[in-house]
Amino acid sequence: MQPAAPVPQPVSTVPAPPPSTVRALSCPNCGGIVNVRAQGLTVSVLCEHCGSTLDATRPDLQVIARANEALKTPQIPLGTRGTLGGRVWEVVGYMERTDEEIVWAEYLLFNPYEGYAFLVDDGRRFSLGIMLDRLPTMGWGNRLTLDDQGYSGFGTPYPVHVTFVVGEFYWRVAVGETVQETDYVRPGTMLSCEESETERTWTRLDLLDWGVAEKAFGIPARRREYSHPAPHEPSPYKRQLGEAMIIGIVALFTLMVISTFAGGEQQIGQTTTDAVLDGPEKTVVIRGLDLPSARSRVVVDADAGAIDNAWVDLDYSLTDEKTQDSVDTYGLAEHYSGSDSDGSWTEGDPRPEVSLSSIPGGKYDLIVTLSAHRWNGGSSSSSFSMPTGFAGSSIFGQDGGQTIPVTVTVKRGGVFGGNILLAFLLIAIWPLIVLFKHFGFEKRRMAPISGSGGSDDDDSGGDDD
Amino acid sequence: MLDATCPNCGAPIRFRSNDLPVKVCDYCRTSVLRTGGNLQAIGKIAEVPDDVSPLQLGVRGRDGAHSFELIGRVRWRYADGAWNEWLALFDDGSTGWVGESTGRYMMLRPVPSSGLAPDVLSFVKSGRAIRIGGVLTVGAIEYSVNDAREVTCVASEGELPFNAPLGLKTMSIDLMTPDGGCASIQRDQDGEVDAYAGRYVSLGDMAASNLRAFEGWPMPAYRA
Repeated sequence: MQPAAPVPQPVSTVPAPPPSTVRALSCPNCGGIVNVRAQGLTVSVLCEHCGSTLDATRPDLQVIARANEALKTPQIPLGTRGTLGGRVWEVVGYMERTDEEIVWAEYLLFNPYEGYAFLVDDGRRFSLGIMLDRLPTMGWGNRLTLDDQGYSGFGTPYPVHVTFVVGEFYWRVAVGETVQETDYVRPGTMLSCEESETERTWTRLDLLDWGVAEKAFGIPARRREYSHPAPHEPSPYKRQLGEAMIIGIVALFTLMVISTFAGGEQQIGQTTTDAVLDGPEKTVVIRGLDLPSARSRVVVDADAGAIDNAWVDLDYSLTDEKTQDSVDTYGLAEHYSGSDSDGSWTEGDPRPEVSLSSIPGGKYDLIVTLSAHRWNGGSSSSSFSMPTGFAGSSIFGQDGGQTIPVTVTVKRGGVFGGNILLAFLLIAIWPLIVLFKHFGFEKRRMAPISGSGGSDDDDSGGDDD
Repeated sequence: MLDATCPNCGAPIRFRSNDLPVKVCDYCRTSVLRTGGNLQAIGKIAEVPDDVSPLQLGVRGRDGAHSFELIGRVRWRYADGAWNEWLALFDDGSTGWVGESTGRYMMLRPVPSSGLAPDVLSFVKSGRAIRIGGVLTVGAIEYSVNDAREVTCVASEGELPFNAPLGLKTMSIDLMTPDGGCASIQRDQDGEVDAYAGRYVSLGDMAASNLRAFEGWPMPAYRA
C-alpha cells in the first residue's frame, strides 16, 4: 500500500531489538520510579519508595492503598537475577510472613519462559518453591504421595499472615492477608498447601544446599548451623550415620574373622605326670616351646580330671632358654564333692586354664611344679576318701601314695575374650555418637509440633557472627 | 484457506481455517465475520495490551503427534488478574486452546457436549455458585474445581471461533486432576456451555518455537 519509493534497506532485514520485560512507570502516590517486570501478569505492585499498593491491571497504576512508610529493604534487592538449577530467575517481589511464632521471607521469582517460583528464606537456609500443576494423593495416617515419594504431615494446619510486602505479585497481595497452611515433609522437600476462601494451591519446596542461593543472588553465604532445623531439612548426620554403620559393620566382621582364625590356638607342648596326693612336690619341664611371633599369647591348660576332694597346686615358670628371663604364674586344679542336708554337691575346677599375654618371641621352657593335697572336709561318701591313717603320712613311697594323673598342655595364639569385647565397644563408639547426634537433630527438627515449641530463643539463633 | 481484504481498511486478511468465522484485522483491528463467501465488519477490537508472554501469533508447537500454530488470542480479565487463551490450529485442521495464566500453560482440546453429564451441564447453565474443591466429571474424568469466576474479554487478535469484543463476559471454571490433567468449562452470556480438557504443559513439553525474545533473557534451554 506504500507508494513505490526507493527504500535503501528493506525493513525486514533490520529486526527491532527484542523488547525489555521491564516497564518503568511512576508511582501515582510518590512519583518514584516503579519498575514493572512482569507486565500483563502482575496484578499488585507495592511501590518500593512509599509502600503504596498499586493496581497493575490498570494502565494508570491506580492506588489501592496509599502509604508513606519507611520500607524495609530485602536482603536480595528487587530486580536481582540469579541462576538456580540452570534457570535464570529475577526477583520481582518480596514479602515477609509469619505463623505468629517465627517470621520468614519469601521472594517471588520470575522468568518470562518459566513463569514464577518462590525463594523462601527462613533466616538460615533457602528453599526453592514451585507451584504444583498436579495434586498429591492422600495416603494413610496423614501422609501424602507425589511422584512416587511419600511425605508425612508436619503438625496441623496453621494460619499464615503477610506482615510486609514490596514489589510485584500476580495476585492481590496485602499486609494482613491470611491463608491456612498445611505442611507435609520428607528430607529435603516440603509440600505446602495454602488455602484461602477462593483458592487452594500446592507448592513444592526444595531445600537448597548451603550457599547455593546466596551465591546465585550475590549475598554473603550463611554459616552452617543445625540448632534450629527446618521441617524438611535432611539430617546432616544421616550420611555420617550410614558411613559409621558401614565402617562399624566392616570392623565388626573383621573382628569376628580375626577372633575365629586367630582364636585357633595351637598346641606347642604337652606332658603328663602323676602327682602324689600329699606327697612331695614334683617338678616337670616342658622344653622347646617355640614362640615365633614378636608377641604371643600363651595358654597353659592343666587337666587333673580324675581328682575328687583334693587339689593340685601348679606353679608355672615360663623361662626363655636364652636369657633365662621367666614369667611366673600358677594354677589350681581342684574338685570337691559331698552331700549335706541340701543334697549332693560338687565344687571346683579340675581343668584350670592360665593365660599369659605378650610373651616375647623365642624358645621357652615351661617349668611346672606340682603338689597334690587331699581334702578331708568332704563326707564319707567321697569316692577318694581314704582312711585317715594314710593321710599326711610321708613314710609311704610314691607307689604307696594315691596318685593323680595331671596333663599340662601349652598352647600359643588365640585372642582374649576381654580384648574382643573392648574392641567391639571401641567400634561401636562412633556409630553411637552419630546416632545420638542424628536423633538430637530429628528431635529439634520436629520440635515445633511436639508441644512446647521452644520458640523463645529464636532470636538468639540468628545473632552468631 | 481464504485470502481476502478487510471490508473496513482493505488490508489483506487471511482465513487459515474454514471453521473459524472471525478474524481480527491486523491493521485496523476490525473484527471481520465470514458467512459463506461474505465478509462483514462487525466492530472494532481493542489492541491487546502488551504483556511479557513468550507466546505470540505464529508460535509453533506440538501436542503429541500433531503440530500446531497459534493463530488467535483472546485476553480475559477478572477481578484479580488476567490471562490469555491462544487458539491453536493443528496440522489436521482441528483446533485447540493453549491457556496461559500466571506463567503456566494448559493444552486444551474441545470436549463434545456429550462429555458433560446432564446434571453438570444444567448446574453450570444455572449459573449457581460452584464450590472450590468440589468434583466435576468432564469426558469421564473426575476433576476438582480449582476456581470459578466471571471473566471479561479485554481484547482479541487473529482468527477466532467467535467474536470477542471488549466487555464480552463468560463464566469460567478451572478444573484439575491429581496427575496434571486440567479442564475448563465456560458458560457464555447466552448460557451456552463449552468444555475443554487437556493437560498442564511447559513450553518445553509443547516444543514451542518462534517464541518472543526478550532483551537480556536467554531462550529456554530445550531449544538448544
